[in-house]
Amino acid sequence: MQLPSADMRPKLSARARLQTDKVTGKPVLLYPEGVLMLNPTGHAIASLCTGEMTFQEIVVKLAERYKISAEQISPQVADYLNRLREKNLLETQP
Amino acid sequence: MNRATPRPFSLLAEITHRCPLHCPYCSNPLQLAAHTNELSTDDWKRVLREASELGVLHVGFSGGEPLQRADLVRLVAAARETGLYTNLITSSLGLTRPRLDDLKRAGLDSIQISFQSDEESLADRIAGTSAHAKKLLAAQMVRDAGMPLTINTVLHRANIERLEQIIGLAERLGAERLELANTQYYGWAFKNRALLLPTRSQIETAVPIAGAAKKRLLGKMEVLFVVPDYYSDRPKPCMNGWGQKHLTVNPAGEVLPCPTAHEIKSLRFDNVREKSLAWIWRESESFNRFRGTEWLPEPCHDCEFREVDFGGCRCQAALITDDAAVTDPACQFSPHRTTLTEFVDACQNGKTSVVASELLFRHNAGT
Repeated sequence: MQLPSADMRPKLSARARLQTDKVTGKPVLLYPEGVLMLNPTGHAIASLCTGEMTFQEIVVKLAERYKISAEQISPQVADYLNRLREKNLLETQP
Repeated sequence: MNRATPRPFSLLAEITHRCPLHCPYCSNPLQLAAHTNELSTDDWKRVLREASELGVLHVGFSGGEPLQRADLVRLVAAARETGLYTNLITSSLGLTRPRLDDLKRAGLDSIQISFQSDEESLADRIAGTSAHAKKLLAAQMVRDAGMPLTINTVLHRANIERLEQIIGLAERLGAERLELANTQYYGWAFKNRALLLPTRSQIETAVPIAGAAKKRLLGKMEVLFVVPDYYSDRPKPCMNGWGQKHLTVNPAGEVLPCPTAHEIKSLRFDNVREKSLAWIWRESESFNRFRGTEWLPEPCHDCEFREVDFGGCRCQAALITDDAAVTDPACQFSPHRTTLTEFVDACQNGKTSVVASELLFRHNAGT
């Protein structure tokens, strides 16, 4: 699994749309012919993929929110971003 | 019904059967809905609202050619207002830059353009009209407008050897998704299947090309390719289960569990002009007929794959055996598999043709 570089600024692709599901009240990520039902962590990560924060900043922010160390949460965030990238849901630009 | 009804995720809105193309693999019914029998703008707005309330997340505007409807922009806007993810499934004929900008402003999320091949003369012969050059311009326009683009190419004997070049075209056009869709043999395509079915060697060549492209383009362009079921041991998990995730509303307002369910002559389909979408989804005979796995025939009933493919495709069972309630003949365990295999064998030395006198090209209904 390839780790995103610390200064990469992940941004959700224009083909993906984050919204609240009417039926469950939970967050979903919609894209052509597909949907991801997001758990709270996935939602927290996806919400920060706006192209403004770097990978490192996202990790720090989430570490604060969940009160765990950046080292602990960093691989999880990287793994999640890679999954989004494999689904072509992240902008490919650094 | 007593058991919990599943929730639908996607709606295919076939807003018209009118189409400027004449593709001989079209899966629309041979009896196309007439222009005068199409649902009104208000009908469609209600359908979109009801779909969203039922839990639908995706709507695909399709047809026919959806751009033939003058109210398309209003329908897209109505869909977006309810929170639906909107995809336009189009030949792109009739797409101008002002109209594209209007669609974008209305909230259209994504556009899928069909290409008949990578190369103009073959592509236009398949489409039965001069379309390819216009499609190239339209795809560029979509990219210039910053809209997500999917390319869809229906594969058959006359174009599958161009697979590599078709993938190259999608890359050059900046598509984010490429559907390499082997022809599904329903409607017009079923009539033409002896000329459309690829040969075994064509399939064997195509599979690794598609596989390599999928790998190479991971994260850049999503590539979809499924081996056609005529060449597979296992049937398609049709619609991921009948009445489980999907509904189609056709131009005249009939609600179908699958876009080609009109092939099943023994089913009657309820209409949104008379019933609510929720009632049709939950209560109608057509949606409940093959829902779940209790109805499954032998040999499906005790099969380990029954929750994988749900007995396969009902429409194919109906077309090949005249009985929609038997195991899909594409399945290796179907007693009817030999019918399909004999047909496949007979096609191995078949000729390739895109000649109008040999193929039945789709023609439109009168008004």
